[in-house]
Amino acid sequence: MRPAIEPGDWLLVDPTPIHWQRRGSIVVFREPDGDALAVKRVAAGPGDRVPFADGYLELADDEAWLMSDASAELTAAAGFGEPIDSRRYGPVPVDLLVGRAWFRYAPFRRIGRIGRIGHGPRLSDGIGPAARGNGRV
Amino acid sequence: MFRLTRWLAPTATARAHCDLPCGVYDPEQARIEAESCFRIMEKYQANADETFRARAIGIKEERAELVKHHLDVLWHDYFKPEHLEAVPNLHELFWNANKQVSKVKASVDPADGRKLLDLINDVDAAWKATGGPGKTRVAGRPG
Repeated sequence: MRPAIEPGDWLLVDPTPIHWQRRGSIVVFREPDGDALAVKRVAAGPGDRVPFADGYLELADDEAWLMSDASAELTAAAGFGEPIDSRRYGPVPVDLLVGRAWFRYAPFRRIGRIGRIGHGPRLSDGIGPAARGNGRV
Repeated sequence: MFRLTRWLAPTATARAHCDLPCGVYDPEQARIEAESCFRIMEKYQANADETFRARAIGIKEERAELVKHHLDVLWHDYFKPEHLEAVPNLHELFWNANKQVSKVKASVDPADGRKLLDLINDVDAAWKATGGPGKTRVAGRPG
């Protein structure tokens, strides 16, 4: 999630939200395909349409499309493969939402609020048709 | 100070991870497991012993799950959107192959196992059409 979140950052997470946060917010959630605790940005929320293959997915009332900030090109340049996000495991149901990451309290030089990016990640950025989930094509 | 830091430290770690693929892919992995399914189906038909048959079904289930895994790895990790130009029916091909694995799980008819092998041949052709042997094996495919 660089540069918004660096490895080792200490984050305050608001656990009260019961709905998906607005597009561009950073959320902590359980990954649908493995239950691991993950942090990504909301790229699209309930009812939004996500470009998918030659058409689109329409997210259900309780689903969000969560994406990494880094593009596949950036992660490849760092020696990694593609980011693991909704392009891999599809839409994420709100049941898996843990909370909204809103403040970084360490390291000291980076203390501050974690902002929301207006439009969130670019939805058209490499959404692989191999991504599958509970949404409808 | 140390105690304060420990008190303030987060209690959970969230990941924002990426893949770290080895970059080695070959439909042969799926084919070998699918051949196991096919042979087990043949052996099932040739042996009426209840215990033998029960074990055969269990082994076929395990092998079929491995076929699905290897097909999924090829589909998600090896094939990229640009490969659709060379193989326009790529998604339909994987969809059908994975559906056929489900059929193999539920069936003891070797004809279903043979059909799965045919579909894996098609996946193999797609892998070759996109330069798979040269790109994803250390020294091409042996043999």
